[in-house]
Amino acid sequence: MKFLIIILQICMLYLFNFVGNIVHNFFNLVIPGSIIGLILLFICLCLKVIPVKFIENGAGFLLRILILFFIPATVGIMNYPSLLSIHGALLAIAVLLSTIISIAIAGIAGQLFERKAQKRKDDRECSKCSQSV
Amino acid sequence: MFAICMILLTVVTYFMMTKIYRRYSYSLLIPALTATTLIIIILLVLHIPYKSYMIGGQWINSLLGPSVVALAYPLFKQRRFLMNNLFPILGGALVGAITGMVSIGILSKMFGINHTLILSLIPKSITTPVAIEVSKGLGGNASMTIVAVMIAGIFGAIIAPTIFKFARVHSPIGRGIALGSASHAIGTSKAAEYNELTFSMSSVTMTLCAIIGSFLGPIVVWLFHI
Repeated sequence: MKFLIIILQICMLYLFNFVGNIVHNFFNLVIPGSIIGLILLFICLCLKVIPVKFIENGAGFLLRILILFFIPATVGIMNYPSLLSIHGALLAIAVLLSTIISIAIAGIAGQLFERKAQKRKDDRECSKCSQSV
Repeated sequence: MFAICMILLTVVTYFMMTKIYRRYSYSLLIPALTATTLIIIILLVLHIPYKSYMIGGQWINSLLGPSVVALAYPLFKQRRFLMNNLFPILGGALVGAITGMVSIGILSKMFGINHTLILSLIPKSITTPVAIEVSKGLGGNASMTIVAVMIAGIFGAIIAPTIFKFARVHSPIGRGIALGSASHAIGTSKAAEYNELTFSMSSVTMTLCAIIGSFLGPIVVWLFHI
């Protein structure tokens, strides 16, 4: 029974993916259809057009074994033995450097934004205090 | 028949490697890496070309789309958390996504990496299923993208604590945003080692960055004439 529910809910997710792809093709968008599907589903969930229990088992199941679904695409690197050469090393170094830069900058920015938001919240509470006095 | 064999090969290898990973939980043993390597070795030994493997593989591949859609579910579950911290999360995710894409674009151009390869590297900080789609949309190569995504994830999770120390990032929110935006799911599992708040931050940021990244990718490519 649970198995059947999961299958049905995956069909539901397929449907959103399908609609996303139609929108993608119709408007000739650069954003992938699956992302459009994600946004549509999120909106439908927020507006309670679709109750969470209609997708939660299927979505949970897919996300638990997510890695399995991109293994076939990953196996494709067997067609590129050149990755083991100097070219591959350059690629790796570029990705490593970029990762270091983005962790540092995103971390610092996130921390900064958090303090600003906290300060704004404090200010608001303070003004409330003074009003009540 | 052949297709079913290839599907079975992939599924069985995946579950076997997941079991091994659960037992030793060492970050270089992540199933994406070990299962892929094992399958490649098996295919090479049996002289099966990738094209034939994909006769079965494409069936598994076709579940990627619905899985991306499924990411709406965790995002929805965390919507209150997101709304309560909207400014830092949205701002941080935006900065993280922009830094990741612009820096890899500039670096790989500096290194003289070829055109298709650069396009494949652009989505490297995004979670794999979305990165594959974004890469295809840009005209990149999905396999190359996955390699880059794996490097960004594994290396990011290993190096992040050192960077936090040097850059003086001590807040759980800042750490979560950094891990989620630069090292997607692998970074998020690293974030879980800090605390609950860092983990939630990282997973919300990861999903947001996937959405932001799919809009941003084409813009970055256009801006830098890649």
